Amino acid sequence: MLSPFEVKLIKSLEIGKEYSVDESAKVSELSKDAVLKAAYLLEQKGFCEVKEVVTKKYHLTDEGLRYLKEGLPEERLIELLKTMDDLSEIEKEMGKKELGIALGWLRKKKAIEVKDGEIKLIKDVEFKEKEALNLISQGVFDISKDVLKNLIKRKLVEEEEEKEIIIKVLKKPDVELKEVITDLTPEILLSGDWREKEFLKYDITIPSKDVFTAKIHPYERIIRECRKIFLEMGFVEIKGNYIQTSFWNFDALFQPQDHPARDMQDTFYLDKYSELDEDLIEKVRQTHENGWITGSTGWGGRWDVNKAKQLVLRTHTTAITIHYLAKNPNPPVKAFCIDRVYRREAIDATHLPEFDQLEGVVLDKDVGFKHLLGLLREFFFKMGFEDVRFRPGYFPYTEPSVEPEVYVEGLGWVELGGAGVFRKEVVEPFGIKGKVLAWGLGIGRLAMLKLGMKDLRRLYLPDIGWLREFPAIKR
Amino acid sequence: MPVITLYWDELEKMVGKSREEILSKLPMLGCDIERVSDEQIDVEFFPNRPDLYSVEGVARALRGFLDVELGYKHYEVKKADWKIFVDESVLGVRPRIVGCVVRNLKIDDEVIRSLMEVQEDLHWTIGRNRRKMAIGVHDLSKVNFPLCYKGVDKNFSFVPLDFDEVMSVGEILTRHPKGKEYGFILEGKDRFPMIVDSKNEAISFPPIINAEKTRVTEKTTDLFIDVTGFDENVDKALNIISTMLADRGGVLESVEIKYPSKVIQTPDLKAKEMEIDRNEVYALLGFKLTDEEIKKALERMRFGVEIGKIIKVKIPPYRADIMHEWDVIEDIAIGYGYEKIEPEYPPTNTIGSTHPWNEVRDLVKEIMIGLGFMEVITFTLTNERVQYEYLNRKAEGYTEVMHPLTTDHTIVRTDVLPKLLELLSYNKHHLLPQKIFEVGDVVVNDLNRLRVAACITHSKANFNEIRSVVQAFMGELDLKWDVNESDDNAFIEGRRADVIVNGKKIGVFGEIHPEVLEKFELAMPVAAFEVDLTEIFDCGELL
Repeated sequence: MLSPFEVKLIKSLEIGKEYSVDESAKVSELSKDAVLKAAYLLEQKGFCEVKEVVTKKYHLTDEGLRYLKEGLPEERLIELLKTMDDLSEIEKEMGKKELGIALGWLRKKKAIEVKDGEIKLIKDVEFKEKEALNLISQGVFDISKDVLKNLIKRKLVEEEEEKEIIIKVLKKPDVELKEVITDLTPEILLSGDWREKEFLKYDITIPSKDVFTAKIHPYERIIRECRKIFLEMGFVEIKGNYIQTSFWNFDALFQPQDHPARDMQDTFYLDKYSELDEDLIEKVRQTHENGWITGSTGWGGRWDVNKAKQLVLRTHTTAITIHYLAKNPNPPVKAFCIDRVYRREAIDATHLPEFDQLEGVVLDKDVGFKHLLGLLREFFFKMGFEDVRFRPGYFPYTEPSVEPEVYVEGLGWVELGGAGVFRKEVVEPFGIKGKVLAWGLGIGRLAMLKLGMKDLRRLYLPDIGWLREFPAIKR
Repeated sequence: MPVITLYWDELEKMVGKSREEILSKLPMLGCDIERVSDEQIDVEFFPNRPDLYSVEGVARALRGFLDVELGYKHYEVKKADWKIFVDESVLGVRPRIVGCVVRNLKIDDEVIRSLMEVQEDLHWTIGRNRRKMAIGVHDLSKVNFPLCYKGVDKNFSFVPLDFDEVMSVGEILTRHPKGKEYGFILEGKDRFPMIVDSKNEAISFPPIINAEKTRVTEKTTDLFIDVTGFDENVDKALNIISTMLADRGGVLESVEIKYPSKVIQTPDLKAKEMEIDRNEVYALLGFKLTDEEIKKALERMRFGVEIGKIIKVKIPPYRADIMHEWDVIEDIAIGYGYEKIEPEYPPTNTIGSTHPWNEVRDLVKEIMIGLGFMEVITFTLTNERVQYEYLNRKAEGYTEVMHPLTTDHTIVRTDVLPKLLELLSYNKHHLLPQKIFEVGDVVVNDLNRLRVAACITHSKANFNEIRSVVQAFMGELDLKWDVNESDDNAFIEGRRADVIVNGKKIGVFGEIHPEVLEKFELAMPVAAFEVDLTEIFDCGELL
């Protein structure tokens, strides 16, 4: 690839001909600096030869200049001899010094004889010196070496050496030579110049400076994936307030009022109370106390409506699910909820006081436990877990209950959430007609598996560097 | 949930199967295996199965589950002459007591350990930390029957377990470690439950502490067990303990409880019967089983079964969890084997839909990401300091939690912006500019609202830059909006604006005040905005 200067230079020089820098600059219309730079680059690429040549130059001395004007002494002497022969007369005319020079030279060439004060010309002499001086003064040095040597000896001409750079194009590139474009500018586009030019090729292996993608949080990606799966399976998304009554959070789910999970040890209670639907209260009270018409013995003891009225930060999204089913008791219903829940737990790498939970329910007449297993298998399959197995589990509001496990390479079987069929004690007080297949899981667990995270705190107190580096798709 | 330590030697001997077989099947009985070593296995059983809190109980269940011994196990209780009189004075305090005598036991360290463990686990689970039920275990030879269960005043004195001095009830509650730990159960009472023997000497002060004199030692061969409390949980606990000791080879003898109005014999280890409808089994499980399969499954789970027109099930006396027909059906499924059930996707056909709340969230995310902001997620739990004090704002409409665990998490956020500033303060070491946003829930007056907030920080972050963002954002929402001079002191005066839509303030933006930056220890300018999306969108119904 040639730069614009190289192209300009190589295009303007003929192959095989030697050019000086001056000449090159003249024909290429480049500066001498540009010519030199381009010539060396071209030489590296084998397109031309650049050599340093030493040339000799000559100029006339002051004496030489005078002789050029007045004629050389020996020349003048011969002229004078045509009319005079007395030496003293001639000496008067020429001066002693010049006469001496003229005599010396003419004697050496055997053109004269000096005898008894008289000079006698014996043969005609040809004088090349004057012509040589004339040429040198014009910068032409095509002169016989003897003459030049003489002139230098006689100090009429001085020699000087000049170093010169000579450029010779050896070959030209095969492709049509175009000027290259470094930065593509609006001017180039507008002019259409790019058509005649080539683009400078960059070193594409050099990394550029970092820029950061604006993107969704990796955790949100998992939530999106889960939502997509539910929607693909025909589930309706539901949503509820973070603050719920204990009634919906616990009592509606047949959690006994003295259940350890209801302890203030584990639940964030608020010092606030909310009124409840009288009809529902009565049915739930009876179910807790004696089973009502559900066929259950109930928990016995007294059910305290005031405990049910107390507000809590919901401990699970099931509070929302049961409320939704109570409002939509007729099958078929498929609903899901992915949202924040709260537990009164000290923070560490795997425990957070708030986290997101995923939950799905199916309400239908002719479905049973095996359909729940079918749902779970499908859900986890879509989540990318191909091997799923089921172990008995326990949750206060489901019967039968199951703990699904998925097989994870390197970890083995990993428990992933819980599931079960809502107890009659849960569904009947709300007139829910049919069986409710329910399952849920903490997304934190899923994040740990899918994002390879070891510390869940990072999800909710993100390190911007981590977010920037975390790829949109984790392989 | 209690974690039970089972020793392999003991367990293998009691079950009659190898540890490999036990280990492979145990999870399918319903438990989480926590740790396995050469000597022992630590297993977490579920709170609905307190009968599995001892090696005896686990062995009994496994013998069924591994087909060593199927069906209902009958426990004989010899009628005997042990009596407890219940005095009127205790009825208002802790009204129920049951008891049992267990003879001919070989009490060694193993038995004592197992007994103490199961006692603690039962106290915690069905006893609800001794409130509902508490168990006392005594050396029968030190107990002079008949006993009396009565209410005493706080001056009643005896030598409590682990002490060598006589202490009054009042002293025990203030000085004895168990008194301090469980005294809350008797708070505000002026009578205290006490079991005394025929010499009027205390043998137990339930639910706090036994008397030293009835301490069980390695020389003990016969036990007296008392369980006190309020409801049928006392019977459940006594049944679990007495059957467990019977499995150890003990001979059970009944204790007569004479209440003022009735007389009962305990323990009552007769089976309860329940009728199970086949169709209900098929319907709940979703598939048909043969009668034989149902019978086998139930017998594996140690139920007695009589197959007829209806299935009659005898429920073992130690099962505390059977409240409903479905509880038995679950055991049919477990006995049958979850692994043998063929999963099937439910035929239920419905149309899926998203919730508008999340539709709005997604839309806003798309816009913000398009504007070059990176999404972050933060906790909604926070505190007044960060939410209001740091931002020079007034605290309004927030929800305070009771008994917070840390001073960091005392309220639920009403604004997102403070959480973002907090986040920036943790990320000062990362390259600038930083542009972050969160679209998420806040809780105002106990109800969720959807908010979006965003921050820009770099050396030249300013009002203009954030105004451009707000302009673009509001433009994307196709809303007519206006600005008003804001009085939000989180921002610099003259560089802050309220976002007005339909004459109502829906948000605010501007340059964060240096005072606020200082509090968050931020050394770079921050420009920010927050908009309440619930005000401008229909975000759908919230339950």
